[in-house]
Amino acid sequence: MIYFTAEVRHPVRIGRSPEFMEKIQVTPAQTTHFTGDYPKCLSAKAGRVALALLVIFLLLTGCDNASYRSPDATCIGCHQGLEPASKSHSGCVSCHGGDGTLQDKDASHRKMYGPKNPSDPRHWEKTCGACHQHQLERIRASLMYTNTGMIKNIQQTWEGEDGVLYASRPEKTFDDTGKPLQLRGVTELDNLSGELYRKFCALCHVGLASYDVWSGSHGAGCSACHFPTNENATYQGGDPTVKGKWPHSASHQMATLPDNTVCVRCHNRSGRIAFSYQGLNDGNNAMVPTLDGQPGPRIASGARNLTSIPPDIHFSKGMDCIDCHTSRDIMGDGHTYENLYLQVEIACEDCHGSVSERPRLEAILRENEDALRESRSYAEPTHPGMQMVLTSKGRKYSNVFWDEAQEKIFVRGKRSGKLHESKVITGTPEHTIVGHQRMECYACHSRTVVQCYGCHTRYDQGKMGMDYIKGYQTPGAFSESEDYRTLYPFPLALNQRGRISTVTPGCQTFVTVTDPAGEKISDGYVSRFKGKNQLRFAPFFSHNTGPKAIGCGECHGNPAFLGFGQHVTTAADIEATLLCERSGIRPLDGFMVMEQGKVRSFSAITRDESRPLNAAEIRKVWQANLCLGCHADPKDPIYQKELDYGQLESCLRRPGAASAPRPGAGG
Amino acid sequence: MAVSGVHQRTACSACHGDRGQRLADPAAASNGAAGCVACHAGHNGIFLQGMTTRSAEKNFVAQTFSRVDPDFFAKNCSSCHVSSCTDCHGGNGHKLARPALESCHRCHKGYFIGADFFGRAPREDSLRYQRGDLIEGEAYLKMTPDVHFEAGMSCGDCHSMTSLAAGRKTAKSCRDCHTPDLKILEHRIGAHLEKLECYACHSAWGAQEYGTFYLRLEESASKENFRLRGNSGSEYLKSAYLKRQNAPPLGLNNAGRVSPIRPQFITFYTHTSKDQLVGEENQLLAAQWKAFFPHTIRRGTVLCRECHESPQRFLLEKPEARIYLPDVDGLALPSFWNRQGQQLGNGRFFPAERFESMSRHPAYLKGAVEKWNNLIKRVEVSSGD
Repeated sequence: MIYFTAEVRHPVRIGRSPEFMEKIQVTPAQTTHFTGDYPKCLSAKAGRVALALLVIFLLLTGCDNASYRSPDATCIGCHQGLEPASKSHSGCVSCHGGDGTLQDKDASHRKMYGPKNPSDPRHWEKTCGACHQHQLERIRASLMYTNTGMIKNIQQTWEGEDGVLYASRPEKTFDDTGKPLQLRGVTELDNLSGELYRKFCALCHVGLASYDVWSGSHGAGCSACHFPTNENATYQGGDPTVKGKWPHSASHQMATLPDNTVCVRCHNRSGRIAFSYQGLNDGNNAMVPTLDGQPGPRIASGARNLTSIPPDIHFSKGMDCIDCHTSRDIMGDGHTYENLYLQVEIACEDCHGSVSERPRLEAILRENEDALRESRSYAEPTHPGMQMVLTSKGRKYSNVFWDEAQEKIFVRGKRSGKLHESKVITGTPEHTIVGHQRMECYACHSRTVVQCYGCHTRYDQGKMGMDYIKGYQTPGAFSESEDYRTLYPFPLALNQRGRISTVTPGCQTFVTVTDPAGEKISDGYVSRFKGKNQLRFAPFFSHNTGPKAIGCGECHGNPAFLGFGQHVTTAADIEATLLCERSGIRPLDGFMVMEQGKVRSFSAITRDESRPLNAAEIRKVWQANLCLGCHADPKDPIYQKELDYGQLESCLRRPGAASAPRPGAGG
Repeated sequence: MAVSGVHQRTACSACHGDRGQRLADPAAASNGAAGCVACHAGHNGIFLQGMTTRSAEKNFVAQTFSRVDPDFFAKNCSSCHVSSCTDCHGGNGHKLARPALESCHRCHKGYFIGADFFGRAPREDSLRYQRGDLIEGEAYLKMTPDVHFEAGMSCGDCHSMTSLAAGRKTAKSCRDCHTPDLKILEHRIGAHLEKLECYACHSAWGAQEYGTFYLRLEESASKENFRLRGNSGSEYLKSAYLKRQNAPPLGLNNAGRVSPIRPQFITFYTHTSKDQLVGEENQLLAAQWKAFFPHTIRRGTVLCRECHESPQRFLLEKPEARIYLPDVDGLALPSFWNRQGQQLGNGRFFPAERFESMSRHPAYLKGAVEKWNNLIKRVEVSSGD
């Protein structure tokens, strides 16, 4: 551990004298290698240890050398007041390149990486990656950088897959089994899917800088998360030469542990979980209530306004995005996954327990474990010997642990240091209801689920559109209009785990393509998915967890929750009232109808093994509502075994039946 | 001048008068449609009722927007009123006819009753949602139309000329044509037939606007930033905090019967001049509800629990049950679905104690189980499921 404390800071701070470098014959990258948190350092071979000791020795004896001239001298001369990136990243040219010994600004800046952003993927191997190779290899394979899942899903819903995996840039990575994988660059995808990705979606991947988006700007590469921007990507720090300038990060101080605003920069569209989590509703873009006579109350990019809804309970308790999401969720674990749900390694059950299994624990036994390494920058570090909770992939959380004395699970706020007790639900009667074994926690515990219905996409071949990946405009421009958004009620269906999950439109795309002459080539085309021209819903966790579960009667007694949309019923019909404009009977805000007792679904649920509930399942769900009128308490013992509906008649005949006071209905 | 239609053989002077008193516009409200009433006696009553006088709208504006802008009505409400028989009976006086459906829709559009009859609910005001065909300048969501529309009926079949001219809203009510079928479970419940309007249950949906914002942006560049429909010309922009199209809330109408109600209007006002705020921002001018008859009749209804177990439909939403938090965004109402601070103009809110008792009544629970069981039994389960 000694390499990682005081000693290693010296090379970073003062070990930049060219003479010094020459003397000890190590490159700056090699020197700083020892400062990094790359685990290979921990398992360094003996030779490397010896080299490190030599460095330390030389430093201790040579650091006051009078001939020493800082390689950053002229940088510091001009950039007075620029905040150091961090304690361990206090130099200039070691990250930015350039020549800090030259007086002339242009000459000194000439060979800089970037010049503004050395973490840009064009440079990151030589800059950040030179020390943080482990992190670089992970992020290069991860979905936030490759967007492989996004591109694949767009393909699935437009032209269909072509057996090739694409990424924002061509990359050689490893698949989830560790086999080498070649990801093709998305510029090769020469169809509408490729066009849509490059012109509509590409701005939100960490490989690309996006500085023109109000409240949605970020740098490219590592800086996307670790050097956050403010709302309009202008520098607000202490260096007067850069103050107020665009495009820059808000400060030169590195965000080792990015706060929620960093996540909002990208996770604010489509599922927009970063908004829902904080209790912000990107609803109807009505721009009211106004704020100082301008659109309000809060403004997001793309002429959207945000109003207030109850935030996620975890947010209310002061938890950040990164308090649940591990660095492997966000930066990847070195493997390339083909979908978000495969990369994310966490689940509610990890901390709260499942119906039958309490959270799994494992002690930190070795001092080079990820959990320890990662927690070094936390407000309160994790210690060897602590019993850590395991993620769904069986790896240790770095901030969730079992407190032996209190016999409780706690989550430690990585930034705040605050402790949050995580209540374990295993074995509690409201969670052991027979028939609920297949539920995702958030099927009941979501307070709202963002739903956008009817996405009408136009692709106009007669207009130029910015291709963000190619970096220039090409023929073909997209535009969108929309039908309807809502938060509640929300539909449920089976997800890829065969569990009942909240779902949201993903997507209900109607594509109109016009040729350069303005003639429509397709008009409101619904693409093929799983062999049929059909709209799609996607399993989705909205990140708007309520303090309590929604009432039992909601799912069991309101057909909207099973996908019927808003509706009226007759004896054997459930008739949609808000309709798809292409149909006389199909709901816009759902995927089911019942006609004369026949249940039909006409939208796919994306992902393998996913589907709407079938008639037998629907009837079973609804049957439970026969009991809920009297037995409203989910802890009621009758729910601990299969319900016997044969009892219903005698139940209702009992004196005093159906007169017990019931808790107030939900909603 | 060629005259077509039923007046083809009518002499010019029959409408236009003789030389002594020549009528340039014999159908105008200004002369009491002197040229028409000679034959159509009494029909000039149309000029004394709401579609001409706009008295309800004028009263509402007088109590609300006129306090902040005396010219509000003239600026925003002047386009829809009857000024001549020809407004409805054919734009060209020489081609008179019975009003077509579209004639009524010309004014009865957007939020106003009439559009719903065709299965049309107003879309959100943001340009992003202003899509699809425009009808009289309005963009609509597609909804289930009224069964009477599907059956080919037109407005005049219930709203006869005689009734309108007499100042009545309609010539016929539901039970003039329909008798409740007592085989239907809900109809067998005495309280339903006695205390509810038929359309309390049979209105499949109703357009509802929560928070109607009038933004008066005089010489303000900010106007371009709002990206709302109608963003040109007038100094005013209109927007809405939220629009819904589901089963509307319920209250008691003037007859004391349970009826759909909706905001008409919960209004907020912001005024800027040269981008500087004038007065209070997002000022709540009214939180007024109205008992109404959505023209969205279907055979089907909402299920029992949608009324009996839904406090928010009776404006009894509890603070912890809220989804929207307008007060957090600075509005003077903590909930649109809580009656506190709100009024119902033509009736009163449903008494809270009646809601409590009706939703806990043993007879209700038994009926609800029977109804629900009947529905479940009809779900066809195939062997493949």
